[in-house]
Amino acid sequence: MRKTIFLMLVLVSGLFAKAQYPGYTAVTDLPKFKASFAAAAQKTNSIKSDFVQDKNLSMLSEKITSKGNFWFKKDSRVRMEYTQPFKYLMILNKDKAYVKDGAKESKVSTKSNKMFQQINKIMIDCMQGTTLDNTDFKTRVFENKTSALVELTPVAKGMKEMFKSINVIVDKKDFSVTSIQMQELSGDNTIMRFTNKELNAAIPDTLFDIN
Amino acid sequence: MILTSCLPIAIGILLGCSPSYKQMQSAVADVHVLQKFKPAFTVALYNTTVDVVGNHLSGLLLIKKMPDSSTRMVFSNEMGFSFFDFEFKPDGDFKVYSIMKKLNKKSVIKTLQHDFELILMNNLDNSKAVVKTNDGLTYFIFPQSKGYNYYITNQTGDELVRMERASSKKTIVEAVMKNYQNGVPDTIGISHKTFEFNIGLKRIER
Repeated sequence: MRKTIFLMLVLVSGLFAKAQYPGYTAVTDLPKFKASFAAAAQKTNSIKSDFVQDKNLSMLSEKITSKGNFWFKKDSRVRMEYTQPFKYLMILNKDKAYVKDGAKESKVSTKSNKMFQQINKIMIDCMQGTTLDNTDFKTRVFENKTSALVELTPVAKGMKEMFKSINVIVDKKDFSVTSIQMQELSGDNTIMRFTNKELNAAIPDTLFDIN
Repeated sequence: MILTSCLPIAIGILLGCSPSYKQMQSAVADVHVLQKFKPAFTVALYNTTVDVVGNHLSGLLLIKKMPDSSTRMVFSNEMGFSFFDFEFKPDGDFKVYSIMKKLNKKSVIKTLQHDFELILMNNLDNSKAVVKTNDGLTYFIFPQSKGYNYYITNQTGDELVRMERASSKKTIVEAVMKNYQNGVPDTIGISHKTFEFNIGLKRIER
């Protein structure tokens, strides 16, 4: 009886997953997926990539596209540089953050700034393969032949007010992140796609300096 | 005696003359000259900075004229997270579609609404406009539900020098719109005079 109920649940959740994310089915062996993700991330010491970001404003039928470059280096260092159609630089280095918009530079401690703390955690978790351990979210994982979709639903108060969910798409070949999709409560979403990825490229430490 | 001392105050309140506008003289000018300064938004994206009592915010402001003639303004940070989404109707109606919790305060929303109404130049009732002059500038004064909106041009009416929002006592906000390209200003600045709150917009080509 128990077996039958379990089987039914798996089938129903599989159908639900298919309906929610076309082409994807729920990952049944989550511990195995988690271990593979963590093992692959263990081998990745740095990531250099370009990115294209689309913010889709559903009710306005508008899309704002921006582009830039991305660097990640262990431990916990990220540099994001928007180059088009505006200039914006963000460096996350452990618990410090640096932002330059136009001529204005600001440094913040991610310990005291909730928003940067969250951005920092999501980015670093995505790159270091620890996304599934983030207790600020309820996670579900789906997969198809080539990709895995990690669905993060906020449970922590602050994040719940900002996002409906954050979906991280991972390339199953090397478990590197191919896109991050942020779904807002309003129905708008932002998709950040990473292209021209170079894993373990030589990246100078000075790129992450916050003076 | 009482009448004499109260009279200037009463006149000041009636005419909306703050101490800084005391020198203004009545004038005659065609209020329709302002029409060319009303921003002809279809869709415009602005690089935006907001400085408010020691805090600095930056992001993108998208302004779009909708098919029903309302104007939508969506402000989000560079990474895409929306701070607010407002709608301004041509008849003066205003709606908040979304706003982040930290900003979701009546006073903040009212301030932003009135600031953007000043630059959108919607709902200016020409029949209630008062025209004055001072220092070679022409002041077009529009009474609002609270206070006044001033549109200040040069004497020939071909340059919008600045805009002001004022109570009957003092200037609350000064704003500028500069470098119009096809009817849309390239640069917009809004500066509050009673506390540190400045908004700077610079148009981005997409």
